[in-house]
Amino acid sequence: MSRIEAAPALADDGTARRSLIRRSVPRTVRTDPPAQVVANPGPVLLSGVLDGPSLAAHRDRFGPMPRLDLDSVLATVGAGAVVGRGGAGFPFARKLAAAAAGKRRAVVVVNLAEGEPASAKDTALALLAPHQILDGAEVVAHALHTTDVHIVTPADRPAVGDAIAAALAERASSTGRGRSRRGLPQWRVRAAAPSFVSGQARAVLELLAGRPGLPVTAWQPEAMSGLDGRPTLLSNAETWAQVAAVLRLGAQGYAALGTAAEPGTTLLTLPHRRDRDTAVVVEAAYGTPWADVLGTDVDRPVLLGGFHGTWAGAGALAHVTVSRDELRARGLALGAGVVLPLRLGQCPVAMTGEIVDYLAGQSARRCGPCLNGLPALADEVRRLALGDTSASWTRIGTVVGLVDKRGACAHPDGTARLVRSLLTTFDDEVILHLSGRCSR
Amino acid sequence: MNWTIRVDWPSCLARGLCAELLPERIHLDEWGYPVINGEVTTDVLRHAKAAANACPHRALRLLKAT
Repeated sequence: MSRIEAAPALADDGTARRSLIRRSVPRTVRTDPPAQVVANPGPVLLSGVLDGPSLAAHRDRFGPMPRLDLDSVLATVGAGAVVGRGGAGFPFARKLAAAAAGKRRAVVVVNLAEGEPASAKDTALALLAPHQILDGAEVVAHALHTTDVHIVTPADRPAVGDAIAAALAERASSTGRGRSRRGLPQWRVRAAAPSFVSGQARAVLELLAGRPGLPVTAWQPEAMSGLDGRPTLLSNAETWAQVAAVLRLGAQGYAALGTAAEPGTTLLTLPHRRDRDTAVVVEAAYGTPWADVLGTDVDRPVLLGGFHGTWAGAGALAHVTVSRDELRARGLALGAGVVLPLRLGQCPVAMTGEIVDYLAGQSARRCGPCLNGLPALADEVRRLALGDTSASWTRIGTVVGLVDKRGACAHPDGTARLVRSLLTTFDDEVILHLSGRCSR
Repeated sequence: MNWTIRVDWPSCLARGLCAELLPERIHLDEWGYPVINGEVTTDVLRHAKAAANACPHRALRLLKAT
């Protein structure tokens, strides 16, 4: 019980504790969505961004989307090795096959609820190339013989909802004059609450079912039993755009970029070098050296995969490419593609502490280990960051173990991953902090 | 055949009956929530079922191990 008293984790609003943290550690991590998003033209998904987001420009550049049957879609996305871009990296073809195998008619969900403040890739797609996303969802819905397509947008990024509404209006009017709407999706758009966990798959399905959009326990994969128990193909917005790209180009054309094992491209979000309020979205072919993406920052420590991500130590990316496989072999993960280089003079322990503190506040507060464990973990890492010598490596390890994989969603797991990665990548720095010092 | 114990975390309110009925596989963490230690084998299956049935919030499920 002494732990609970030391870290008043059971208090209903941790306001007192949070204000103490604010007084003690200067905030350097942005925990709001970026005020502005910048994206340069890219090779595939972002190839038409200079044409503008209109349907006419999109069709001029890419032509009409082919109508394909399920077998062709499965074969092509399988050969293109498209994996989910929401963070988990699950093969899209396997999810699609599971949804198609269900007895009931499938539901398609486009997840644009980008809950991670440091991520802006889905925002960029919605603003610059919304029809890439919609094409992917439309062709797969058609292959699944369903017209139920839901789009979930982030309420704290209203421009995304506006862009999607405008894109859907264009599509509706382009099929208006006497042309048949049969088989076309019945698009339905909902906004998810501004919270880190509201974009989680089950939270999105709860929202669509008319309940609070919070994570619940998944007894079966969504593709087998999702919305109203129907097979539900829920994927991240970039995944849908990648699906559209591979179906349009064919597996071979799609593989013109990338590597044999990982064809195509991936979107990454980086902070702007000078403007804290701006996020930069780039489209990188798999196999691109990190040095090309990061420039001189490649020699700095980098937090890969965002707030639920892993720390790459100084120079660890120097001879590594943008590759989920290569990163995995090094104990790193790309997640949803958020790349945060440590700034000069910034302490990785302090930065991790800030993030864990934010993540603790983002718990849906429904699962005991997350509700109690995340504030306890935040307290430990904060004391470590402040050089409080009562902080303990063993205690941090214990709390990490007590939150990992003990919730309805992966929020505690991701927080555990971040802290674990701090301890392994910056072990020297952590030891220094335990003796009350900091090298920065 | 073995079984795994899954906790429906949003339903669990740390009442702790499961740990009393199945101490062979369940102990409580510092906040009172169950920590599962390994799969349920036939020798403790009866106790595991009792624990799942006793949960006042129906937060424990026994699933066939894969």
